[in-house]
Amino acid sequence: MVAVVEDLNARLRGFESLRERAAGEPEWLQRRRRPALERFFALGIPTVKNEEYKYTNLSALPQVEFFDAPPAADTSAAAYRGLGGFTLRFDSGRLAAADGEVPQGVSVRSIAERLRNDPDGLESLLGACAAFEDHALAARNTACFEDGAVIEVAPGAVVEEPIHLVFAAASAVSNARVLIAAGRNSQVRVIESYIGAGKYWTNAVTEVYAGENAVVEHYRAQLESVEAFHTGCFQAVQERASKVSTFSLSFGAAVARNDINTRLNGEGCECALDGLYAVKGGQHVDHHTAIDHVMPHCNSHQLYKGVLDGSATGVFNGKIFVRRNAQKTDAIQNNKNLLLSDKADINTKPQLEIDANDVRCTHGATIGQLDAAALFYMQSRGIDVERARNLLTYAFAADALERIRLEPLRTHFENLLLRTFADKTEDRQGVTEWRP
Amino acid sequence: MLEIKDLHVSIEGRAILKGIDLSVGEGEVHAVMGPNGSGKSTLASVLAGREGYEVTSGAVTYKGRDLLETAPEIRAREGVFMAFQYPVEIPGVTNMYFLREALNAVRKHRGEEELSAGEFLKVVREKIGPLQMDRSMLKRAVNEGFSGGEKKRNEIFQMSILEPALAILDETDSGLDIDALKIVAAGVNGLRSANRSFVVVTHYQRLLNYIVPDYVHVLADGRIVKSGGKSLALELEEKGYGWTEETAANPQPVGV
Ligand SMILES: Nc1ncnc2c1ncn2[C@@H]1O[C@H](COP(=O)(O)OP(=O)(O)O)[C@@H](O)[C@H]1O
Ligand SMILES: [Mg+2]
Repeated sequence: MVAVVEDLNARLRGFESLRERAAGEPEWLQRRRRPALERFFALGIPTVKNEEYKYTNLSALPQVEFFDAPPAADTSAAAYRGLGGFTLRFDSGRLAAADGEVPQGVSVRSIAERLRNDPDGLESLLGACAAFEDHALAARNTACFEDGAVIEVAPGAVVEEPIHLVFAAASAVSNARVLIAAGRNSQVRVIESYIGAGKYWTNAVTEVYAGENAVVEHYRAQLESVEAFHTGCFQAVQERASKVSTFSLSFGAAVARNDINTRLNGEGCECALDGLYAVKGGQHVDHHTAIDHVMPHCNSHQLYKGVLDGSATGVFNGKIFVRRNAQKTDAIQNNKNLLLSDKADINTKPQLEIDANDVRCTHGATIGQLDAAALFYMQSRGIDVERARNLLTYAFAADALERIRLEPLRTHFENLLLRTFADKTEDRQGVTEWRP
Repeated sequence: MLEIKDLHVSIEGRAILKGIDLSVGEGEVHAVMGPNGSGKSTLASVLAGREGYEVTSGAVTYKGRDLLETAPEIRAREGVFMAFQYPVEIPGVTNMYFLREALNAVRKHRGEEELSAGEFLKVVREKIGPLQMDRSMLKRAVNEGFSGGEKKRNEIFQMSILEPALAILDETDSGLDIDALKIVAAGVNGLRSANRSFVVVTHYQRLLNYIVPDYVHVLADGRIVKSGGKSLALELEEKGYGWTEETAANPQPVGV
């Protein structure tokens, strides 16, 4: 027992700087951070013995702390010029640059700055959605984050221009933190991009609070270095008749784990959780989704598509809870995978827990290879076999991008997709024509 | 143009083609007729280069070159075209994109400039007219959700775009009503020329009323059991395939 306490103390000393910083923070935040840190130490980095991490090995994470800072990320392309909107760049989770104009009706600020200057109103939001009792990595982020973005949308405000948050890795460990609070009847679109070079760990938490009738469109482009670790936790709480959509594009990182959870707290909510992952070499990507249907008359829709090449591995685990009260729930879940090599592998598992009797829940999972008949058909028309493979792969994956309503972002993702599949003749003209 | 000599082909160890000899000269139209399962599609597929067929003996030369040693896409670029009996659906790739990709691959091989989207559209406008195809089919994914007749028309449309030197049509008439058959036949006839050859594979004589062949061959149990002029097709229609199967039991070489 004594040894355990000493060990804990020793580890806490490693987080000494946290305490110093926390001393200047509002009381309520300190009260939130301390249990988070303790919870993190109690749970520890999840191991493969934990059922939720059975196929995702994070055992290398504790060592990442001791890595040298990674080389600077190339942030030049990361602003996605052409998408419009307002961009904030964070280096290792700390605000580094801003670009463009903040659109009308929304406030976009650094969390650190907001905490320093006017922390009022944050108490009920920051750390309120992202539960960490059972989630060591969210606990760690809550204990450690220094900065991040807080996006507050005024009631009734319809913000068309996207708000773009770029998280560039600049130290061994980055804690990225985002809070989106959409007031009643408001609408907002937020893009998060994750980039970096070399070896590092990004541990991100995004909290979304969607007020009554609010519409939150959220996109996440995980384009970390292929040597990096990325763990990301998205947690939404939805009030009556709100709509939340989140799209996860996951191309980067050696090991990526995305937890995407939403709680449908009022009647008539809709949520759409979608994603596309494309991995090769020895990459590993894991999406764990959980939708909590608490109230009646809510819809949830999920489509995750994945392309796995080389000896890449993937996990999809989709939980849907339908509570006793949640009658007339309509939940659809789909996970479709394309394996481009014999060595690639995916573990896909739907997990439905239904306690209401008048509901419609469907789920499906497929794992397939490229269609040999289609490949031959294309070859028989003169198309190079490699090109044919790329075209078919692109067609499979681009279908998932149809879920993206923000047109310029979809085009941007389509181009990323083309590059990922090593298209020799990158042909933007063709991209637009591909769309049915 | 095409020389097939004593071609033997097996599928999974089972002999399907048992010694085919066929010579197709420039500008000629040859019909290959035969009952279901006689090996017509096998012959067409081997010529196009589909995998899964084992050539156990024999040779095929095309324009004097060993065709069987050539990759399927190179065959296509060199001017071999097969209209599929069962055209394949390719979800997510539009017909238009697919065709431009194909045409540009062929053009590049010939040392010609690749066509831009605009230039390609001109070619498409010119070729689509005679086939009376709905323009919307161009924007749809290749063959996806097409009716049987639309798929067959799309095959002929592809052929007219790619302008092959040797076209092999595998049961292009099956599943077509008489009006569609006439349109497809007119499309094919419009492409007949002194330096373009056709192998028209069919089960029924009907198509040959509209695409009149120079030669007719009867395939039965993996062998060509009879060859003749266009009248052979009519004779076959009258007497049925049973007539040729007797011959197949004791095959005799027949001169063209
Ligand atoms: N992929 C295949 N696997 C096994 N047998 C096949 C395959 N394709 C064709 N066959 C067999 O080969 C024979 C000839 O078939 P096919 O060439 O399709 O004939 P046709 O086109 O004249 O109807 C048939 O007995 C058929 O069952
Ligand atoms: Mg056939």
